[in-house]
This record gives sequence, structure tokens and C-alpha cells, in this order.
Amino acid sequence: MTSIEVQDLTKEFGTARAVDGLTFRVLPGRVTGFLGPNGAGKSTTMRLVLGLDRPTAGSATIGGRAYSTLREPLRHVGALLDAQAAHGSRTARDHLRVLAASNRIPDRRVDEVLEETGLASVARRRVRTYSLGMRQRLGIAAALLGDPEVVMLDEPSNGLDPEGIVWIRQLLRRLAEEGRTVLVSSHLMNETASFADHLVVLGRGRLLADTPMRDFIHARVQPRVRIRTTDPVALKRALAPHGHEAVEHVDGHWTVHHARVDDIGRITSAAGVPVLELAAEEGTLEQAYFDLTSAETEFTAQQPQEA
Amino acid sequence: MELTPVLRSEWLKIRTLRSLPGALLALFAATTAFSAIAGVSGTSDPDFDPLFTALSGVVAGQIAAVSFGAMAVSSEFQSGALRLSLAAVPRRGRWFAAKAAVIAVPALLVGLVTALVALLVARAGLGPAADGLGTGEQVRGVVGCGVYLMLMALFAAGLAALLRSGVATLSLLIPFILVVSFVIGDATGTVADFLPDKAGQLVLRETYDGTLGPWSGLGVTALWTAGALLAGAWSLRRRDA
Repeated sequence: MTSIEVQDLTKEFGTARAVDGLTFRVLPGRVTGFLGPNGAGKSTTMRLVLGLDRPTAGSATIGGRAYSTLREPLRHVGALLDAQAAHGSRTARDHLRVLAASNRIPDRRVDEVLEETGLASVARRRVRTYSLGMRQRLGIAAALLGDPEVVMLDEPSNGLDPEGIVWIRQLLRRLAEEGRTVLVSSHLMNETASFADHLVVLGRGRLLADTPMRDFIHARVQPRVRIRTTDPVALKRALAPHGHEAVEHVDGHWTVHHARVDDIGRITSAAGVPVLELAAEEGTLEQAYFDLTSAETEFTAQQPQEA
Repeated sequence: MELTPVLRSEWLKIRTLRSLPGALLALFAATTAFSAIAGVSGTSDPDFDPLFTALSGVVAGQIAAVSFGAMAVSSEFQSGALRLSLAAVPRRGRWFAAKAAVIAVPALLVGLVTALVALLVARAGLGPAADGLGTGEQVRGVVGCGVYLMLMALFAAGLAALLRSGVATLSLLIPFILVVSFVIGDATGTVADFLPDKAGQLVLRETYDGTLGPWSGLGVTALWTAGALLAGAWSLRRRDA
């Protein structure tokens, strides 16, 4: 199967470095979330992969080949960069037929992707009458047109209604299960956490992380235990000798930081503390992401002093 | 990548945007209407040239041809459309060649039909004043007129690719065609003869003086067009999409 390979990729616009010595691979069979604040270089990287922008240095390839050398590229790579790219005066179906014709994709496939993205009933309406969510679906339809092994979507959930967000999540999971290479940029953490297996995180054009999502969260967010008891005093007394401290919340439950649920369960049980609820609190992607980016901000803020 | 699917795709783009076939229709309507008016207007001018009078609707009609060429290209420079097009066809030179071809062919065909109809309509009005026109001159006028309209559409297309904007292209070309050429106007024997529209319009005249003849005049327009297209292609290949 095909992967996306980015090697020492650098792109300068004037004096600004949008992408700075980036190296990573996006592998097939999983959804890779592409994270980073606005201006981190996510969209630029995608344009470089598609050969739309020329790199200042380095290379980006698809299965070892530069995008521009692909014969009928839509059959290999499907991309959504900008949902506004479809001309407002064309119908959705004509918009897709134009793209299909250039890569010798039959019109039958146009109707299939319209069906798949839920646009079949409005396919003959002009794109200017579409909502942002419908345009987004049309952009995704265009990306799926050539049944590509590699799918690259820039902020696909933009403007989608809750139903659409569930749909895109299921779509991305399915594409990965079919063995395709899926790269999805987003700035919505909870959304990304719901579909990504792997993460590539950028900050100021540089690679901050390239790791499985679970590892990324576990490495950065300390485990916590949530507990409810009828006897807070007994709870505190039981925890103290083990170096744990419970913090009370407004609604009456307690959180033990830096602790694992297995340990706390044994301690409270041995001490006979009446426990109403005991649960591990999973770290969220959002917490892990902010931990990483705040570290990065400190790092970059210190640099001038060192110089 | 083969050229045929790219041509088919680009042709479909022209057909599916209402404004583009609309511009070609306007080309036909404006040219024949202005030629018809010229045909029934006076023929007392001492410089009266029956062939040019019959085809004079082109002076107005060419604005539609220029708009057609400019809009066909500039629709690609709106909100990321070019990125989508070049992701489908990454060979930019080939893509632009296909774009030029689907502008040239319809402009030429509509231009030929338009010129023929304009000539017939105007001659009906001119009556005996145009009887001196030979068949050869009339064929030259009609064919030359079609080619001229195609060249002007392509000239605008090249400029639109260079300037990446239809508005910029049209606000440069339309005043140029309407005002500059008109003001410099009849001052023959100057550099004005070599302006793209002025030179090409020599093919519409029965009689001509000066350095350029009908076909060499059209050749000068073709050089301008080639220059604009090459500049557009160069810009397209060099710049980030």
C-alpha cells in the first residue's frame, strides 16, 4: 500500500518559514490526525505533498513518487483543501464530472460518491445555493472520486452539523479499515481524538510529535482517579500514608492526582473506606496537546535569551 | 497523462458555466447588430470601405470575445479552484494548453459564423454600395474576422493567467480597445499600427495602406497573443498554485 513520505521538507514564503525541516511518514491502514495551531504549516504541507507549492528544500512523495509524476493522480490521492473551491455557478454533479473527466473516471462513479456523501438529491443544484456543510460534503465527494489509496482532508468537519460529524468519523474509520492512508488535519481536539489512531503534531512549521495517539496522551497526561465516598475523612486518612492526596470537587466527588485506579482501589478497600464510585480518569487529547504546546511556547520564548 | 481527457474536462468546464456560452452568444448578437446598423447608416464617408463597414460590428463584438477568454481563465483563480484543477492535472503546461484550446476552438467557430452573418446582414443594408466587393475579399474578411476574434480571446486568456484576475484583465483590455485605439485611431503609419487590435483589424478592410497588409497585420496580433499566452504559462508554471 501507499504511504506519504515527507523528507526534510522546508517551505519559505519570503523570509517566513511556513514549514521547517519536516520529516515524517503517514502509513496506510490508520487515521493520522494532523494537529497544530493555525499557521503551524499543516495546509502548506498538504499543498507541498500535492505539488501545488514548490518546496524550498526537501521532498514530499506518495509511495516514493512525486505527486506531479502520477498518471491520473485522482486515482491515487484524493484531497480536500478548500470547500469553497467549487465554482458557485456549476451544479455539484457538473463540478464532479469535470474532475472525473480529467482522470478518465466514469460518470457512474460521480453518482456513487454523490450518493455516498448524501448529496444525491441536491446534485443538480448550483453550488452557490449550498451551505458550508454541503460544500464540505462535496469536497469530500471530490476526494473520494478516484477511489484513492491515499486520502488527505484539511479540516473536513468544518461547518458540518452533528450528524455530519458522526458521518465523517465513521467514514474516516472505514477508509482506514480498508487499508487506505488517511491524513486529516484539524484544530478540534475532541473531534480528532474520536477518529485518529496516530498523531503528527506541528508547531511553527516544525515537527513536535509523531506518535500513536494513546502513547501521546499517556506520556503527557498523568493518570487520575475519580472517587466518591460517604466518609471523606477516612479516605484522606487512608491515602495519606501512601503519599496520595484527594482533592474535593464542587459536586462532591474527589480526584486523586498522579494515581492509578488499581492502587487506590486496594488502599481504600484495605482501610475499609466506604466507596460509592471509583474510576480511572482518562487523560484527554486536549490536555496532552496543551501540555506539549505550552512546553514548546516556553522553549521558543527562551531562545532569544540564550542567543 | 494524455491530453484528450484533459481537453474533455476543460471543455466540460466551459459548457457548464452559463456565463461562458453566454459570452459567445453576446459576441454573435453584438457583432451582427452593430454590423446591421452600420449597413443601413450613411455611406457618404470619403474613406468608405464597404468590407470594413460590413464587419465593423466586430469592434464592439470583440469585447465579448475578450470577456470569454478572460472569464474562462479567471474562473480558475477564484477561491482555490486552481488548486483543485492542478491536483487533477498536475502537468501545468499541458493543462494550460488544453485550456487555451477549448477557448480557441469555440471562439474561432462562433467568430466565423458571426462574421458571415454580419457580412450578409450588413450587405443587405448597404445594397449597391457594396457591389464592388469581390468574393476573395469577402472570404478573406470572414476568415480573418474569425481568426481575429479567436486571437483576441486568447490574448485575454493569457493576460488573465498572468494577472490571475479577470477583473484586472478586463479593466486593462476594454479601455484599451475602446479608448486607446480609438484616440490614436486613424493615425496610420505610426506604432499604433502594431497594436494588437489595430493590426489585426486590417484583415477586415478592402483597402489598406501602411507597412502592414491584412495577413501580416493578423500575424502581428498573433505575436501579441503568443506573447500573452507564453507569459501566462510561465507565470502558471513558476508560481505556487
